[in-house]
Amino acid sequence: MASTSGLRTTLSKMAASLTGLLKPWTPRVLLVRWSRYNPYYLEPEPRKEVYHIPETELTPEQKEERELKSVRPIKAATNSVTSSVFNDPVLSKFVNMMMKDGDKIIAKGIITQTLENMKRKQVEKYHKAPEGKKAEIECNPYAIFHQALENCKPVIGLASIQKGGKFYQVPIPLTDNRRRFLAMKWMITECRDNKHRRTLMYEKLSQELLAAFSKEGNVVKRKHELHKMAESNRAYAHYRWW
Amino acid sequence: QIGFSLSQCHPFCHQTQVRPLHGSGCGQQQEAIGMETRPETFSIFRTQENDPACQSEQHLGQYYTVPPSHFHTVFPHGLPPRYQQQVKTFNEGCVMVRQPALELISHLKRADYSKPTLRYLLYGVKGSGKTMSLCHTVHYCSTQGWLVLHIPDAHLWVKNCKELLPSSYHASRFDQPIQASNWLRNFRTTNEHFLSKIKLRQRYVWTKRESTEEGRPLGELVDMGVSRVKSSSDVVGAVLKELRLQAGGTEGGFRLAVAVDGVNGLWGRTTLKKEDKSPVAPEELTLVHNLRKMINNDWCGGAVIATLSQTGSLYAPSSAYLPQELLGEEGFDSMDPFVPVPVSLYSEKEFESCYLYYLDHIHFHHWLQHPHSQTEEGKKELIFLSNRNPSVLERLCAFL
Repeated sequence: MASTSGLRTTLSKMAASLTGLLKPWTPRVLLVRWSRYNPYYLEPEPRKEVYHIPETELTPEQKEERELKSVRPIKAATNSVTSSVFNDPVLSKFVNMMMKDGDKIIAKGIITQTLENMKRKQVEKYHKAPEGKKAEIECNPYAIFHQALENCKPVIGLASIQKGGKFYQVPIPLTDNRRRFLAMKWMITECRDNKHRRTLMYEKLSQELLAAFSKEGNVVKRKHELHKMAESNRAYAHYRWW
Repeated sequence: QIGFSLSQCHPFCHQTQVRPLHGSGCGQQQEAIGMETRPETFSIFRTQENDPACQSEQHLGQYYTVPPSHFHTVFPHGLPPRYQQQVKTFNEGCVMVRQPALELISHLKRADYSKPTLRYLLYGVKGSGKTMSLCHTVHYCSTQGWLVLHIPDAHLWVKNCKELLPSSYHASRFDQPIQASNWLRNFRTTNEHFLSKIKLRQRYVWTKRESTEEGRPLGELVDMGVSRVKSSSDVVGAVLKELRLQAGGTEGGFRLAVAVDGVNGLWGRTTLKKEDKSPVAPEELTLVHNLRKMINNDWCGGAVIATLSQTGSLYAPSSAYLPQELLGEEGFDSMDPFVPVPVSLYSEKEFESCYLYYLDHIHFHHWLQHPHSQTEEGKKELIFLSNRNPSVLERLCAFL
């Protein structure tokens, strides 16, 4: 496929100009970070259900799509893309945010230990609880994680807007992505900073997540403080022009 | 809580005798629900036969519960740490009946105890269930009234020792007081009832003023070893010697089971160093020296059950699991002849049983909480990810 090899050599030359390290022994085909694919390339499809539909049950659009995919080149799938049934996009985002220096193994390990720890605590609480209270105790660590994150998401945010030489903190609406990012960021910074030297990350994270699930804890407090600041600065809301 | 789970364990007696400890109005309803669904789940992956002596091939793949009263006496040490956590979370200790353990138990039932001891060696890949099979066999031995010498991990004696004292008994050997006294304490918990019955046949002199006379009960020796930490390694040596002499005896004879986990640590290298930074060989440690004498088959009236372990081993590659590789030349020659018992990964039936155990929602809320893990797709993925390896499966199900 001449077009792909041509594209690959262009990419590798881009790599050379970017990194400046193209030596005679480096392979000609390089995986480059942030490489921009030609729009001709199509996205990969990781879900298994799509491939299990038999020929007869395809709609005309799906048939067209399949034919297109058989002639066009496909982008390489990134490492985080899985066809696993246990794949959770929110959790993957959290793992990526927790990752330091690209070490996903350690970050993923911390998260799995956190989930296990939360499940153990809840199951032990379940066993000790009286009959009436048993049904209220949530033992699914994924449900707890999602609910805790929901409880930490701020509804309204503040932006620093300059007017007349001074900067004012103006309440603004936040997009969903921004809210999710803020919740995760606060959770991670809280667990990194405000813990005892000897407490491990997964221990502190499980404590914070369980507290956030029941709307207590420092992260939820921080969200409430942001809301209060926004409420107190309502007078400046008209400084927002979008 | 343990009483409550026990009442759930026995479908025949729950209605008449035992009431749930945290009872309330809906207790009756729960019992009624439990009664309908319990018989099916029990027949598939649980068995009522809690006595290892009566378990047979029909119970293969099924879980039996170790009675809570026995738990702390039989297993004060020796269980894998993740399993101990699981027991604490589930409030019950369930062990799967597997083929290697059944084979070992059948050998122990039919062996001739007037002949020199037979050595059994459990080997297998990492995480295949060797330590659990050993613990199952130890449970059998203690229910049959044997004296059990369980060394939880021989590797703990050849590494990470903070205090290494030169031995008072033998000039070139080294003592490990902390490890020895810990082990003696656990030994005392396991074999309380034997300590007063066995009498010493020799006089032991510890210092100029202290000695233990002939005819004193073994319990006194063990107590002395626990309290006087300095001479605890020598006490261990004395205890092993006494038991070896008296095991096959005709009057008041008892059977001795020596269960050693990680036996490949006894031959090989240690990470301990003498004061002049030269490495310590395992023979130079009193505990290891005495244990090696125990593993020799020059005594009769008992059995030696050993497990190989790569996990705690020193200077062994992680892919090694066969006896030849892990024991080395010297170890293999000392253990030879032995009965090798291979421990394999879960078969399909055993995997099913394990999966259903984790999915069980009567005794404890689903351990497998992820909604997808309860589907067929999720199960296939678990098989793929774990390759039916018991420990890997346990770690996967812990966070799913």
